[in-house]
Amino acid sequence: MDPIISLKNVYKSYGAKQVLKGINLDIYPGQVIGYIGPNGAGKSTTVKILCGLISDYEGEVSIEGINLKQDPIAVKAKIGYVPELAELYDVLTPVEFLGFMGELYNMPKELATDRITKMLAAFGLEANMHQRMDTFSKGMRQKVLISSGLLHNPDIIILDEPLSGLDANSVIIVKDLISKLAKDGKTIFYCSHMMDVVEKVSDRIVLINEGTVIADGSFEELQQQQGNQSLEKIFAHMTSKDSLSDAADQLMNAFGN
Amino acid sequence: MNIFNRFFLRAVLLPSGLYRKMGVNIPHLKAILTTKLMMDDRRVSGIQQTRKKKLKKEPKNTTIGSMLATAIMGCVFLFAFSVGKDYLTQLTIYFSFYIFTLTSVLISDFTSVLIDVRDNLIILPKPVNDKTFVLARLLHVVIHVSKLVMPMALPTVIALGIKEGISGFLPFIFLVIAATLFTIFLINAMYLLILKFTTPERFKSIISYFQIFFAIFFYAGYQLVPRLVSKTLISGYSIASFKYAFLTVPYWFAAGWQYLHDFQWNSPLFIYFLLTILLPVFSIWIVIKYFAPSFNRKLSMIGGSESETAPVQQKGKAIVSTTSAYISTLGGWLTEKGTERMSFLHTWKMTGRSRDFKLKVYPSVGYIAVYMVLLFVNNGKLSLDNMHNQTGPGKFVFMSVIYFSSFALMMAIYQLAYSDKYKAAWIYFITPIQSPGKLLSGALKSIIVKLYLPMVVLTCIAALIIVGPQVIPNLIFGIFNQILIITFVGYLALRDIPFSTQQASVKGSGFIRGLVSMILPLILGTLHFFVYPYLIVIIVLGILSIIASWLMMDALKNKGWGKIQVKEYES
Repeated sequence: MDPIISLKNVYKSYGAKQVLKGINLDIYPGQVIGYIGPNGAGKSTTVKILCGLISDYEGEVSIEGINLKQDPIAVKAKIGYVPELAELYDVLTPVEFLGFMGELYNMPKELATDRITKMLAAFGLEANMHQRMDTFSKGMRQKVLISSGLLHNPDIIILDEPLSGLDANSVIIVKDLISKLAKDGKTIFYCSHMMDVVEKVSDRIVLINEGTVIADGSFEELQQQQGNQSLEKIFAHMTSKDSLSDAADQLMNAFGN
Repeated sequence: MNIFNRFFLRAVLLPSGLYRKMGVNIPHLKAILTTKLMMDDRRVSGIQQTRKKKLKKEPKNTTIGSMLATAIMGCVFLFAFSVGKDYLTQLTIYFSFYIFTLTSVLISDFTSVLIDVRDNLIILPKPVNDKTFVLARLLHVVIHVSKLVMPMALPTVIALGIKEGISGFLPFIFLVIAATLFTIFLINAMYLLILKFTTPERFKSIISYFQIFFAIFFYAGYQLVPRLVSKTLISGYSIASFKYAFLTVPYWFAAGWQYLHDFQWNSPLFIYFLLTILLPVFSIWIVIKYFAPSFNRKLSMIGGSESETAPVQQKGKAIVSTTSAYISTLGGWLTEKGTERMSFLHTWKMTGRSRDFKLKVYPSVGYIAVYMVLLFVNNGKLSLDNMHNQTGPGKFVFMSVIYFSSFALMMAIYQLAYSDKYKAAWIYFITPIQSPGKLLSGALKSIIVKLYLPMVVLTCIAALIIVGPQVIPNLIFGIFNQILIITFVGYLALRDIPFSTQQASVKGSGFIRGLVSMILPLILGTLHFFVYPYLIVIIVLGILSIIASWLMMDALKNKGWGKIQVKEYES
């Protein structure tokens, strides 16, 4: 099977600072990739390259066999992106905003309207469909953002901390949704700091640190390599130089004279 | 969407065939423009934002509102035609105002409206090609500028049309377009210049200083110019008497109009007409060639939430606080240790760094300053002599300067409760603060030191030089009366913890407070005016005023939780 997303020797620097130092990844259809790493590891840079937001990288990125540099528009049409920061035009109503998104994805108006109504209703936002979003809570905005990423039924869905701000029930909905989308053949690229969720949701975990992939495999494979412990422990073990319990000790010592 | 937006949208989409040939996706273009215009319609525009408080209702159809406001401003411009004896003079003045106003309005709109950094995350990940995106942005700028320019120029177009017919307004329309293009170039250049000397983080505060400056400048111009220059002088003035006028850009536009109006091929004014054509062409060329490429990138850094652009703190280099040592010392003298001093220093920093606060308060301080100047200008009989002897108008001006000065602080006191980051005030409600009144008195003292003390120093120096040391008792009495007024108003007005309230919640008691802050200076000022010559009375009253100020401040300090509104914030 051909990989649906393929990164070959991807490098990216901001000025003198090299953020990605040769990322190699092949992702296959139907996989849920848990993409994890500490702050500043290069997670969001990778995501931005995949979404076509950053074009001055080195190396080769192809999606469904299309070279990202050659035809970014075709690639963008296949990707649904839910950004981490709840950036949306909040003077619009969810219906207006999603309608706009639909038009940018070249969707027929009737289809878009139908889907928008159904999706918002499923998220329990029926009553708020025609309210401006500047009064929305973080969770409500997140629901609109998730809808905007799924609206055009993309093959690849990139989720950056999609659960932030959601209440427990909505978290269950989204987690369930992720596994159903994967079963449907969608490829999901899931970035998060919440290790327990990544552990459960993803069937392949990619751990990056300082711009390189340092672990790649299913949770079980990682456990075999790193000892039978939780993802949180594995993550800490692989990415932190100092012992974390030392830091906690130092914090406790701060109380001392 | 209202009729104007629909009209503009249709107008800019007329050459759709051409756009399509250029490789632009028309449905995308239309969708982006429609959405952008819809959002503009719900946003309070630059022309209104410095004056109006946040609206309670959801802003709707703000386009029509701001177009009306702009049209009224356009009518004000007509005054240019009452100055000078020829069109050349009048239009030079007109175009000066036009370029100046347009610059001041657009300079803030450019970052907030036209270059929305959210676009980068919302539109760019979508399958929209670059040409469509760039054209959408460009057309949005064109529509936005037209919405300003059209109502602004309309009154003059009509006036010139009536007075001069077609040869009056057609050249004018042409020149207004040229002047507009030049202004856009000017703004681009200013932006690039500012960005060259400062970091994107500080950029927004610099823009807000521009806005403050423009607001004060307008007020000063509006108040002072007609008074400074006598009527006969104005109507007889000709720009020709100013030898270097031909070096200024507005003069070129005025001469360009004159050339087109007279329409004599061999007129020497031809050179200016040529300049008015070349200038915008040259400006646009520079914008496209040099500014535009780096412009968007730099602008997107301004609102960037990226950690990549965050300043890297050098290790081992301590963060130097801008609150200098002398403020801490001053706080040490004026405030009680603990809560009050903390509040004093905190308010000092917050008012110095909060863009919102500065934008609300500094213009009103500037207006008062203008008004003070006006007191001197307005008074024909004022002379150094009667100021020195404190008789007649001299005494009146002296009293007015002292008693007006407290007005500058009123806005600051009302503004004290508000902040963008009002939710951060939870810290006051979870910490064990015994006497919240000290938060208020500390904040009030901070504002007095920051805004009133410089005025007091200036007034004292001026009074001592002009009048001499015999003025001291009256000066002290006057100044303490001001402090009494300020603390009294503070006592009435400060019912919220500083910086704990959202701007939108406007309270009903504003009227009473406004009345008190107007009437109190008037009563005390009148009283002072009559007892002015009696030294003993002044000394006794002065001591009483000091005691009263002290007691008032003490009362504020002892305000308990019962008199302070405790906030509950939703998540």
